[in-house]
Amino acid sequence: MARRIQEHRYLTLPERGQKVSFKYNGKTLTGYETDTIASALMAEEVKITGRSFKYHRPRGQFDAEGHGPEVMVTVDDEPNLWADLIPLHEGMEVKSQNAWPSPEFDLAAVNQVTVPMLPNGFYYKMFHKPKWVWPLAEAQIRKVAGLGKIDIKGRHNKRRYEKRYRFPDVCVIGGGPAGLGAALAALEEGKQVLLIDNRAELGGHALFDLSPVSGSPVSELNGQPAYQAVQTLIEELADSPNLEVMVNTTVFALYEDNLVAAQCGNDMFKIRAESVVLCPGATDRLLVFENNDIPGVMSARAVERDIARHGVLPGEDAVVVTTHDGGYHTAMMLHGAGAKVVAVVDSRTGNTPGHFENQAREAGIEIHKGHTVHRARGGRYVTGVDIGAPTENDTARSFNCDLLVMAVGFKPTLNLLSMGRKTPVWNTERQILEVTELPEHIYSAGEVHGNASFGRLLEEGSTAGKAAAQGAANPATTRSTDEIIAALPADIECGGKNHFICKCMDVTRNEARVSIGEGYDQVESLKRYTSLGMGPCQGKSCHEAIARLAAIDTGLTPEEAMPTTMRPPFMPTTFGTLAGRAPHLGPVRRTAMHHAHLDRDVTFLDAGQWKRPDHYLSPEEEVKHVRTKIGMIDVSTLGKIEISGPDALDFLHFLLPGKFKQLAVGKTRYSVMIAEDGILFEDGTLSHISEGRYYLSTTTGNQDAIMSMMMWWLTVEPRDVQVKNLSGANAAMNVTGPGTREFMQPLTDVDLSNEAFPYMACREGLIAGVPVVMFRIGFTGELGYEIHYPAEYGESLWNHLLEEGKSQDVRPFGVETQRILRLEKGHLIPGTDTDALSNPYEAGVGFTIKDDKPDFLGKAFLKDFKDRGIENRLIPYVLDKGAVIPEDGVAVIEQGKAVGRVTSSRTSPTLGQGIGLAWLPDSMAKTDQRFTIRNRKGVDSKATVIDHASYDPHGERLKS
Amino acid sequence: MSFQLSCPNCGKRAVGEFAFRSELLERPSQDDDFREWAEYVYLRRNRWGKQIEWWYHRGGCQSWFLVERDTVNNTDHRSFWYKDLPQVLAEREEG
Repeated sequence: MARRIQEHRYLTLPERGQKVSFKYNGKTLTGYETDTIASALMAEEVKITGRSFKYHRPRGQFDAEGHGPEVMVTVDDEPNLWADLIPLHEGMEVKSQNAWPSPEFDLAAVNQVTVPMLPNGFYYKMFHKPKWVWPLAEAQIRKVAGLGKIDIKGRHNKRRYEKRYRFPDVCVIGGGPAGLGAALAALEEGKQVLLIDNRAELGGHALFDLSPVSGSPVSELNGQPAYQAVQTLIEELADSPNLEVMVNTTVFALYEDNLVAAQCGNDMFKIRAESVVLCPGATDRLLVFENNDIPGVMSARAVERDIARHGVLPGEDAVVVTTHDGGYHTAMMLHGAGAKVVAVVDSRTGNTPGHFENQAREAGIEIHKGHTVHRARGGRYVTGVDIGAPTENDTARSFNCDLLVMAVGFKPTLNLLSMGRKTPVWNTERQILEVTELPEHIYSAGEVHGNASFGRLLEEGSTAGKAAAQGAANPATTRSTDEIIAALPADIECGGKNHFICKCMDVTRNEARVSIGEGYDQVESLKRYTSLGMGPCQGKSCHEAIARLAAIDTGLTPEEAMPTTMRPPFMPTTFGTLAGRAPHLGPVRRTAMHHAHLDRDVTFLDAGQWKRPDHYLSPEEEVKHVRTKIGMIDVSTLGKIEISGPDALDFLHFLLPGKFKQLAVGKTRYSVMIAEDGILFEDGTLSHISEGRYYLSTTTGNQDAIMSMMMWWLTVEPRDVQVKNLSGANAAMNVTGPGTREFMQPLTDVDLSNEAFPYMACREGLIAGVPVVMFRIGFTGELGYEIHYPAEYGESLWNHLLEEGKSQDVRPFGVETQRILRLEKGHLIPGTDTDALSNPYEAGVGFTIKDDKPDFLGKAFLKDFKDRGIENRLIPYVLDKGAVIPEDGVAVIEQGKAVGRVTSSRTSPTLGQGIGLAWLPDSMAKTDQRFTIRNRKGVDSKATVIDHASYDPHGERLKS
Repeated sequence: MSFQLSCPNCGKRAVGEFAFRSELLERPSQDDDFREWAEYVYLRRNRWGKQIEWWYHRGGCQSWFLVERDTVNNTDHRSFWYKDLPQVLAEREEG
């Protein structure tokens, strides 16, 4: 029977605060604002909080540390949260997980009876063969073994996830006595300090420590009970202007250069600290005995925390099993709360009684020395306990009880220390894992180095905090021998089943032994085979037990049996938190005409960070419109780089494969860009706008890469060149279609006649008073003028032309339309029709390369390609009328083998049949060659290689 | 990678602001054997220990600079401009 207590004989209970009502599995329950979900459930006598992973055994609260899978709940549709860490709020909707219809009555508990069907390594054994079994089995296993369900349509989709940043001098992780000491010391040194704790209040385990303080460096604390002394310390910190305290915040990783990653609610904090002091403390060890997993078996600190912080007594009749004076402390905590302590079972004999052992004796508590627990009795929860000598299997005594407390010492929480890239090592004398060495600027203090008194922890924290503030070396830790907790008694082998080592994955000691017998006798293979320590707690509850028991059962030394490196995250973190609100915090880039597009029924396309109109009407309609009338496309996202200065031509000769001495003012030329490895990665146009001033246009995605590449070359081989990135400064559009000249001429001072402004020329002029540069180029295959002009006129000039063009039916078109238009012309798009192995000769753009220059980018490789000769070619093709249009990227099939591939495939609205570009072996890349394309469904289409372009093959429309 | 790097222009920043280009390499001349070109393009030493590398302050001032980085522990960085390379190489020679 759990209940709320109103008073405690040995301590003053904290204020409970406001009453709070919340829902648990649809039922309305009440608690207090100082509760966690778990403590409120405990007070409401919800004993079974979950079902185990494999056998669906009943499980209840165990450690109150946010480690155990048994208290994972769904809160307001967010799954897999730890009920023992989350503060209770009014109106919370809490649901249990992994049980149906409820944890109290769970149908899948039949698994306990069918245990032989789920042996260790059952994934491998049962579903290995035949192959088709696994997908079916997986679906069923998921249903019974799953964690919380993600509600895809749930409210969490509307949650905001923010990334937040802090840059303290000293970041102290853990707000117990050592952390408080470290923060105080660093503040005294004048540093900015950030103090983080994963619970709602600072203080750590000292909040429920009855021991009188001695040896504290803050002398006025001496003589006070620790739980009061720690409050005094917290109050002392409260007003420090240089201190920020973050509670309810879990540090889940520590990365290089002291990048501390922490989660608080939905927010992720990235904290970069000069120094980090790690004071993560320790948690109760897990003792492995029969039925050690059933509800009512709890860790000492969970019981102490429930009583002292939440005023909740978890049971009326308690048995405490211990190996040190701490067990007697727990007994006194229970005794003071009004529980009957049936017995303290202490494995030691002949020890000098400690402070609390003496108190327990005075209080008349029954003590059994030289004994340990053999088994917990009970089905749904604990009803009794059998004890006996640690070395024997015979039960010496039995007790009835409803609470069995494990107080068998502590295991340091080493995860963050280990993430400082140091591997934990086993200390046989102290029976703990420890990290003895840390990188520079990372410090550690407190119980993570082993059990110690409040005064010593405070002193140790203080020393570490001072060293951290000064950037000094990590001070050595000291523990006196009476603070070392003795080795655990051997975990008892009294037969029976259900000695759970790993509660997350439901692995018992017996299963581990069978697996060792099957040959998985190294900890690494044992772990993978049985999935020991691979559940939600990631070994936080069990890794120490795994090491200890695996060492015994495999015959390895504990040093060899150690589980592996501890990696981030320390606590499971939602993808939302990691991702943040916008991907990579990248901006969404809109062109200057964006809002004009919005006025129409436009479908946008994401091109890198840019939003580009994909189409307004259907692409087919738009293609026909451009071919017969006039269309306009927003091409503002093109890269636009101006190159000028005395060495501009020399620089271009190095950068591009062509020769441009003949490129007179007013002329434009198509060029590709070749990397040093000879691969074609980019194309665009180069225009000579005025004497010595060149204008290079690049594709949307490559502009930043090309700018940075130019800057690199100018760094290593300085030239007298100015490079200006006008990509954002200029808006651009392409006005194209057979009627364009007649439409544009009245609007500009530039003479548009074919003689004055021929194909592949550029002119500066005015349109509606706006200074523009016009390029007569032909990506679409029709007469067209690409107009570049200052972005501040982006929208107004676009709207002006549409307005003026109304009578001639001038309409905007989108990127998909442009792709079809260019495909009808057989123009390639780098990155779409080419890849990292495409050499320019094979891609059919060898005409842009003039390799009789002394040195230019890619020259050596281009020569090699030329020597090697052509193996494949990129060719345009048409499909037979009525043939199925294949998807982009499918194979060209010849005698059952894939010999080439399609890179772009569309229906040509102009021709009324399929067209595309494909890579074919040179032997097949001949005009009129027939070949077969196989689509994803295996349907074949016949195609014919064509000479140049399917539309206007000789470019008469372009040039007229 | 979460370490910090110093831009000679902007100071210490998170490494995510920067783009890595490559180890410092010497570009062969056009007279050199093709084998040397292939090695220049495709082969990297990937040293254990200190090596000089090209970095670009992409999310900042967009400068190119060199960093002597210890690839083992990522802690010991030294950033400098390309024009100071001869001096750094001379110091390495002495050291």
